[in-house]
Amino acid sequence: MAARVLMQCVRSVARPSLRLCSVNLTVRTAAVSNTVSHRSLCFSGDSRRTRWLEQSRVSAANIDVSCRLYGDLPPLTFDTIRDRVLYVLKLYDKINPEKLQASSHFMKDLGLDSLDQVEIIMAMEDEFGFEIPDAEAEKLMTPEEIVQYIADKKDVYE
Amino acid sequence: MASTAATRAAAGAAKVVKPIFSRDLDEAKRRVRELYRAWYREVPNTVAMYQLDITTRQGRDKVRELFTKNKHVTDPRVIDMLVIKGKMELQETIHVWKQKTHIMRFFAESEEPRPTDFLSKFYKGHDP
Repeated sequence: MAARVLMQCVRSVARPSLRLCSVNLTVRTAAVSNTVSHRSLCFSGDSRRTRWLEQSRVSAANIDVSCRLYGDLPPLTFDTIRDRVLYVLKLYDKINPEKLQASSHFMKDLGLDSLDQVEIIMAMEDEFGFEIPDAEAEKLMTPEEIVQYIADKKDVYE
Repeated sequence: MASTAATRAAAGAAKVVKPIFSRDLDEAKRRVRELYRAWYREVPNTVAMYQLDITTRQGRDKVRELFTKNKHVTDPRVIDMLVIKGKMELQETIHVWKQKTHIMRFFAESEEPRPTDFLSKFYKGHDP
């Protein structure tokens, strides 16, 4: 199936280039009689197209069909999760980005409120796209705990 | 009169009262957080639906202000009552049973700074 899709893409790419080739041919063979040039144009156009198609079929068949191209996000790792969490926290205006570390406590080190912590957890929900229930959200007090929780929920091992 | 005095004495002596929703302070705080989350997510929809002249950030600051106004409360039943009232407001806001004026009542009227130079005072008129 991927091969068929690729063939169609190659065909759509080949078509404008074919149009360019035929335009050049018409300019060059304008002096020659119409019927002869027309027939030769058609013949050359067809042969070119068939040659393109054969090449594309061959090249498409060479592509590895076993790699399925589903639409999905890249896999999560601890480092990517940590980077994204710290990036979102740096964007939050009540946090000083210089003082932020992976182990800084929201209430004790950064001086945030419980409602601020709720806002942070909501930002994490928006970032990673899954709901965090409040019973577990009230315990997440450092960025490292958030990373561990997301890794638990998303089955990220190392 | 006598019955209310008796119930008050009984309540004072026992210190166990019938809860409204939550049995202890933690559960009440959890309800408060859930309500805050709902309001936080609702503010941009409100600003769009009612075509308010405030920014989303101003709306969220106002929500934060109203929540911190009742921050000192410790009785779980009082907290539950406030949460119930907040939920009623939220329902009315979501379903557009309110109008723009009802929502803007939360915001104090913005004062214009008094004019200082002669021409501004002249335009404003004589208002001693």
